[in-house]
Amino acid sequence: MSAKSSASPPVKDAAKRQRRSILVIIGLLLLFALVFRLRPAPGDLLPAEARVVETAKPHVCVHTLLENEVEEKKILRSLELVRELGATTIVQFFPWAYVEREDDQFDWWHADRILRHVEGQGLRVIARLGLAPNWLNEDPGATLNTLPETAFPKFAQYAAAFAERYAGTVDEIIIWNEPNLSFEWGYQPVDAGRYVRLLQETYPAIKAANPAAVVLAGALAPTLEGRGSSAGLNDLDFLRDMYAAGAGDYFDALAIHSYGLKEPPSAEPAENRLNFRRAELLREIMLENGDEQKQASITEGGWNDHPRWAHALRPSQRSAFTVEAFEYVEAHWAWLERLCLWAFRYPADLNSYPDNYTLVSANFVLKPIYYALQDYARGWEREEVLWLPPPETK
Amino acid sequence: MIKHAGFQLSSKVVAVAIAVLLAAVWRHYQPPNRDIAFPAGEIRIGVDGSYPPFAFDEAGSLTGLDIELGEAIAAEIGLPVRFVNLSFYGLYDALKTGAVDLLIAALRVDQARTAHVRYTEAYFDDGLVLVSASDNQSISAEALSNTAIAYEYASRADSQIGLWEGDGQEIARRPYELSTYALDALRLGQAEAALVDATTLRLYVRERREWQHQHQFVSREPYAIAVRIDRDEVFKLVDRALSTLKESGEIARIVTKWF
Repeated sequence: MSAKSSASPPVKDAAKRQRRSILVIIGLLLLFALVFRLRPAPGDLLPAEARVVETAKPHVCVHTLLENEVEEKKILRSLELVRELGATTIVQFFPWAYVEREDDQFDWWHADRILRHVEGQGLRVIARLGLAPNWLNEDPGATLNTLPETAFPKFAQYAAAFAERYAGTVDEIIIWNEPNLSFEWGYQPVDAGRYVRLLQETYPAIKAANPAAVVLAGALAPTLEGRGSSAGLNDLDFLRDMYAAGAGDYFDALAIHSYGLKEPPSAEPAENRLNFRRAELLREIMLENGDEQKQASITEGGWNDHPRWAHALRPSQRSAFTVEAFEYVEAHWAWLERLCLWAFRYPADLNSYPDNYTLVSANFVLKPIYYALQDYARGWEREEVLWLPPPETK
Repeated sequence: MIKHAGFQLSSKVVAVAIAVLLAAVWRHYQPPNRDIAFPAGEIRIGVDGSYPPFAFDEAGSLTGLDIELGEAIAAEIGLPVRFVNLSFYGLYDALKTGAVDLLIAALRVDQARTAHVRYTEAYFDDGLVLVSASDNQSISAEALSNTAIAYEYASRADSQIGLWEGDGQEIARRPYELSTYALDALRLGQAEAALVDATTLRLYVRERREWQHQHQFVSREPYAIAVRIDRDEVFKLVDRALSTLKESGEIARIVTKWF
């Protein structure tokens, strides 16, 4: 430090420091303003007024997968396309692991964002809850589906918090997914009694948080696995076991998964066959257990049009079977509230045959099934031809 | 004593450090231990048996390219193999829980999973191929304006054509319901090129060996074997076996057999 500067009057120094402080504060304020300007404010993309779904078929529903969608404009575009399809309702997954990343710390930011756009598009939503947070399991071999029974109260706490927060927006909640598959328990053996204990813990918690909530149970995977299989247990026996374990008092409606595979929607159901009308066998079990007053929804279902998957159809067949399935529901299944197709769109391609369950590709190419279902739902008769006739090969 | 930049290291410390380094190098170049990698004395391979020609059920038994590849790798390692048939959605979780040692299931290398999964080198490429008549030398992915291209509607090929159009190329689109129709259109002279995935082309040509055509890859979709990232011994053994099988021509033989 020079002798000259050390000789500056103290008052002048103080004034200089004050000016510098003011400049720093102004700079920080500008920086904050810039940051907040760059980060889209929640709701920037929301329509001024909630849209209305135009449809002639209120039972049309699709399963969306927005939990892994990062970009808000893609969430919006997905839901706009759902509305334009003429679907009234979506099934949407709200993973516990994404919301409660630390014990008792709930981060609803992404769920809020999805549901704001759901409301903006005038859609109803059935929420599916599942996936255990990492902090529950120290075992490195545990998956997000590994849910120890000791954690059931924590899951119920999450479900109740969800039900309370979104009461009025989400009034239908599915508890867990495909509990008759060992994969859905982190490759643990399946046990209907354990799933019923999860319902017994969760159902009253949701009802206390939102008495109007409809709790859906089941969501069982259609499978032919017999007792003792390491992969799981068939859906019919699992539902029977659920009733035997006392499930009846702990759900308001049954969630059904119903895939047609190679068969048309009218194909007769049988215990040893997997097809669309297998849902009727689940309904029979409900009736056998005195649950005729309860409704059901197909919360996953549909056909696949991959060119090589063993259980797939060609795209035109897929479209035809899907529309016939909706017509079949209308004509025959008064007990079914909605038929929700798996799946509307993946945020990124899986690069295998599951991509051919979607109605819209990851980069928003609309598939033939989308147009076919839109025509059905909105009562349109489209004249546009999507593809050229097959070349004459003879 | 060694003096360097203000630090003083004893020769003993240096010797220990060199020894540790040498041990690490020696350990790195040691052949992986089969007993550590597969303590059950067998190799459990997760497959998806619903996906011909890679894995499918034939008269109650699993068969296909992935199955034969798994058998060849197990034979190269010298252990029996057990295939665990899984749904696509359950594959990676089965790997994580240790229910299987590796996955051979027509899996494309997925960069999003590389924090938990290590992939071997590719054994198959299902990228998009631009196919044209063998005597047409004017077809090139870089200059497709005004070219009539046949493709499957709303497929990967459809998206790729959209990208080319975005780059300013004016494609004469020929959409068909199926990729095989697109190849029919090319073969019958109703299109100048077809854009399909490599698997479709291979299966199509298998039925029409006499058809003269050429193709170029316009994208890469490598299929590889997946191993849990912390199972280093498994990875080394499998990757080494795969390399040996490639060098011997066995992989090419298996691929040719199924196409």
